[in-house]
Parts: sequence; C-alpha cells; structure tokens
Amino acid sequence: MSWGPGLRLTLTARLTLLFTAVLLAVLCGLGVMVTLANQAHFVDLDRDYLTDKAALVRKVVAGSPDLDQMSQRLQELLQSHTGLYVRLALGPQTLYGEEANTFPVDIMSTTGRLEPIDWPWDGSLLRGAAVALPAPTFLGGDAAPSLRLLLAMDMHHHTHFMEELQNSLMVYLLAASLASGLLAWWAARRGLAPLRDMRERARRVTANQLDERMPVGSVPVEMAELAQELNTMLERLQRDFQRLSEFSSDLAHELRTPISNLLTQTQVTLAQPREAAVYRDTLASNAEEFQRLGRMVSDMLLLAKTQHGLALPHREPVALHQATQALLDFFDVVAEEKGVTLVLEGEATIQGDRLMLQRAISNLLSNAIRHAPEHSRVHVSVGHTDGMASLCVDNAGPPIAPEHLPRLFDRFYRVDKSRTHLSTEGTGLGLAITRAIMEAHGGTVSVASTAQRTRFCLQFPAA
Amino acid sequence: MNILIVEDEPKTGEYLRQGLREAGFTVDLATRGNDGLHLALEGQHDLVILDVMLPELDGWQVLKGLRSMGRQMPVLFLTARDQVEDRVRGLELGADDYLVKPFSFAELLARVRVILRRGRPSQEVTALLLADLELDLLRRRVLRAGKRIDLTAKEFGLLELLMRRQGEVLPRSLIASQVWDLNFDSDTNVIDVAVRRLRAKVDEGFEPRLIHTVRGMGYVMEIPETGA
Repeated sequence: MSWGPGLRLTLTARLTLLFTAVLLAVLCGLGVMVTLANQAHFVDLDRDYLTDKAALVRKVVAGSPDLDQMSQRLQELLQSHTGLYVRLALGPQTLYGEEANTFPVDIMSTTGRLEPIDWPWDGSLLRGAAVALPAPTFLGGDAAPSLRLLLAMDMHHHTHFMEELQNSLMVYLLAASLASGLLAWWAARRGLAPLRDMRERARRVTANQLDERMPVGSVPVEMAELAQELNTMLERLQRDFQRLSEFSSDLAHELRTPISNLLTQTQVTLAQPREAAVYRDTLASNAEEFQRLGRMVSDMLLLAKTQHGLALPHREPVALHQATQALLDFFDVVAEEKGVTLVLEGEATIQGDRLMLQRAISNLLSNAIRHAPEHSRVHVSVGHTDGMASLCVDNAGPPIAPEHLPRLFDRFYRVDKSRTHLSTEGTGLGLAITRAIMEAHGGTVSVASTAQRTRFCLQFPAA
Repeated sequence: MNILIVEDEPKTGEYLRQGLREAGFTVDLATRGNDGLHLALEGQHDLVILDVMLPELDGWQVLKGLRSMGRQMPVLFLTARDQVEDRVRGLELGADDYLVKPFSFAELLARVRVILRRGRPSQEVTALLLADLELDLLRRRVLRAGKRIDLTAKEFGLLELLMRRQGEVLPRSLIASQVWDLNFDSDTNVIDVAVRRLRAKVDEGFEPRLIHTVRGMGYVMEIPETGA
C-alpha cells in the first residue's frame, strides 16, 4: 500500500475507522440519553419527595394548636431527614426552620403544583420548591394570609450518582470502541480476504503462467463480477498470447526452410570456381527466393497489424463489382492460359478500404483459378443476402475434405502437407489475410465445398 | 544526376551506392543524419534517399532541415516500419515517395527514375520506337518490321510502359501498379504470363528480341548488346 501525496489508507483501515466512528457516535448518543433519562427521573423522584414532605408539613401545621407545638412536631417529623431544608414563613417572618437566604426569592410556584428548581447554596447544590399553606387556626385560619412553605433537598447524592454513572459510561465507551475497533479490523480483514487471494493469484500470472484464474464461486457477489471480468481478460490475453507465440514459431518454421535452401545453394556454388553464368543463375534464383521471403514478412506484418485491430487506413464507399472487375482484368491473362472463363455478375457497394478489399478478393480469385480445371468457369457473384452485401467466388474443382475446411483460413495451413513450396507459390498466408481483412471490415469469410465445386463467400455487415 | 544516400546500415548503403552508380548516377553516401544534412546543403543533389531511422538526426529531421534551408530537391524515404502514420508524416513533410524495407533494388531504381523524370518538361510523344518496333500512341497501333500486330488493351498498356522506360528493368510490382492499377504485391504469376503472351506477339519470329527477362528483378525492353 502506498502512502502517496495525501493520505491513502488501506481499505481495512478505512473500514475499521468508519465502523469504530459509527459505533462511537451511537454509544455517545446512548450515553447522553441515559444521562438525560436519569436526570429526568431524579427530578420526578425529588418532586414526589418534596410533595410528600409538603403534605406532611401541611398536615402537621393544620393539626397544631399553637406555634410551639407546631415547631416541636415539625422538629420531630423532620429531624431524621438529613439534607432536607424547610422554612415556614408568614410574610418575611420565619415561623419555622431555615432563614430566608437559604432559598432564592423567586422560588414561589405560580401553578399551585410543586415545580422544583435547583440552586447552589453554601457549597452544595439544592433542589427545592415552595408552596402556599393555608394558615392554621391558631393564626387565624382560612381568612388569614396564607403561609409559605419552602422545601429544599441537598442533591449531593444525585450528583455523586450521576458522576459515577458518567464515569462508568466513559470507561465502557472507551472499552467498547477499542473492542469494536478490533472487531471491525478483524471483520474487514476477513471480508477482504478474497481480495488478498486475488492479489496472490494475480501475482502468480506471468507470460508463461497465464492459466491462473480468479476465484469466482467462493467470493462475495460484488467481487465475483470483478473476478469474472478479470478471468475474461486473462482468457483473452492467454488466447492472444498463445496466438502470438504460435505466430512466431510458425514464422520461424516457415523461414527456416527457405533460408536453409538459400544457404546451401550459395555455399555449394561458392565451394568451387564456376562459370559466370552459373553464378548469375544462382544469384537470380536467390533473388527470387528472397523476394518470396520479403513478401512473406510483409504479409506476416500485414496479418499482425490487421489482427491487432488497427483501424483501416481508409474507409470509403467501394463498389465491389468495380473493384472485382479490375482484378478480373488482371487475372484474365492467367485464366485465359488455362482456358478458364471468369464471370462477374451483380453489384454491391460497401464501406471499406479498396486496396485491402482487392487484396482479400484477389486471394480468392487466384486460388479459384489455380484450382479450377482447364476450360471451366470461375463465377464471381456480388449481391445482397439478408441485407448484407456479399461476394462469392465459385469454381469447379475437386472437393476439399471436411476436416480441412475450418482450418483453411489458418496461416500456413496447407491441405497437402508434403508439397514443397516453390517460389512461385503463395506464402501460405493468402486466406489468413483474407480473413483478417474481412474481420477488420466487420465481415466474415466462409467456404463450402461440394463434390464438384468450391465456393468462398465474403459477407459484409449491413452498411 | 547526383544522388545522396543517407543510410546508417553499412551494407545497405554500400550496395545502394554501387547499384545506383552502375545505373549511371553519381552517388554520395552518408551514414549519419547530420552528415547527410550537411552534404545535402553543401552539394547539388538531384535526389536524396533518406533512411528514417538514423543516428543523431533522424530522417524526418534531416528533411525538415533541408526544407527549412529552402532546399526543394525530391526526397525518397526508406523505412523499415510500414505504418500509415509514417507515410502521412513523410508526405506532410514533403517527401516525394517512400519504400518499405525489404524492397527490391529494381523497385528502388524504378522509383528513383520516376522521381527524377518528374518536373522535367515531358515532350508530348505520339510514337515510341525501338529497333523495328513502332508504337503509334494516337492510333494505338503496333508495327513490327512494318507488320501490324494486334494487341489487347492491357497488352498495349504493358508494351507502352516497357517502351517508355526502355533500358530500365521494371519489377513486377511496378508493372502491376502501372498497367493494372493494382497497388499491392501479389504473389501470382500474372505478370509473367502477360509478358510471355506479349512477347509471343511482339518478339516471336522477329530479330532482335526486344523484351528480356532479368531473373530475380523483372523485365526490360532493349536492343540486346551484340556479342553479349
């Protein structure tokens, strides 16, 4: 993994961080909720407590015959409640309990219901509320101004509890995020294991070891598609590579024989003094062979270029019948020598490279004339079938065995293996070139052979 | 006629020089791009044969250098790479022709002669003559020793080409391209058959023989040197 310009994290690290961050956020939210719920719960509890105490005080106050008795009873009632502050007041006058400054001035509830508020006092936090009490009979009963009862409780055990809670929440949060981070890391690594497997396999792929494939069945669906694509790519590469290496070995093989011939011939000629005419003859023969070799190399290059999908040099409308007629004019002499009649019929125009197309057609024509018996007829028909332009070259001749038919378009494929190639003969690439040119045009070439006739057809895609 | 060859492959350069000299040209040879450019700017060459791949300056740069100095002599490129872009680039830069290696010397010689003939005022010939063979271009008639010979259109075209370029060895590919307008190297023996048939009509029964096969190179039309 590279740490290039800017921060590039591994996928595992990213997933781990993301997962941990999400979990942390969730846990924090949960912590806040727990805290708030607790506080709300404490408020409820405190209100109940204060309400309860207020009711008790009210009862004592109402049932007391005089102020002293009331004070005494209240004292008895409340002394066991530590942390509870009570003040009973009539106007500014304290009837019982704490001084006025213990409580804030605006504590009086206006709703008649106890509504506790919090305030700090003497180093601690108090929560309290105030309520109006009807004056007891010894102070004039209902007609007299009402008393004010102020209650407050020390909240130190609440705050203590809340602190404890927050501390333990914090500890839990830290522990949980650590644990979840580890878990996330483990899960991410486990989830990405197929990726590492693929990397390992990719590492093993070399020019000599192209049969390695990515796992498809054992990986998650998302990766299976990638693996599938990679496998298709590998297959394509393997096929191309195979073809390329076959190509090279074919070429080497095809070149070996003529080069060996040339070498032998030259060395034999040089071995002893000879007449000038013999030298001339040898050189001329060599030149012919060299020309054939040169042509073969050019053909191989053309084939290589066409097969590598190089774009056609030109693309223009080509009238097939006209292009063919020019070729027939060319081959006419040879055909006439054999008494073979060349017939052209029909017409069609396609998009393509004229020179390349003529080359493709010329290979078919030259084959047809070569294999046609004397005084027969080579028939070229141009036209449209199923909306596709086609050109067929049909000649009489001995049937081609079915096992040869699909391989006719392979380079250097010869039906008669034993036949030695003369320099006048083709390079063995003609039909392969025809096929390559057709493929470059998006078309196809096919062959059919019956007992009497052989028929090659070029088919062009609909324009 | 002065020709400058700029070719870094020593054997190729040497044989080209020899071949062109023997064909009657004065030839200079440079093996490096900048030497070639220097020679071309110094001398008076009618044609430069430039290899594309050269040490120091490559063929394109030499051509650019020449053109930027106002030298407009024709340039023929030799290239080992048959790439369309190369051809286009060469033609854009003002090359007159190109040959892809491996090429035959006969082909090169024929191209050189075509290029050198260009630009020269071509007199409108109406008749071509060689020994007792006469070609009437206007009436498209052929006479040998005063006797009328019937030729097909293509045969006439072939004879006209051989007559116009008499004394030059014409490679088969050039004949196919000039007479049949087929610009690819075909491995058929069509040209041989065509020449054989033409020869049967034009040379058979006459002396001297005018159409000759140069083995390994092509065909030439000339009056044979006596005693050769």
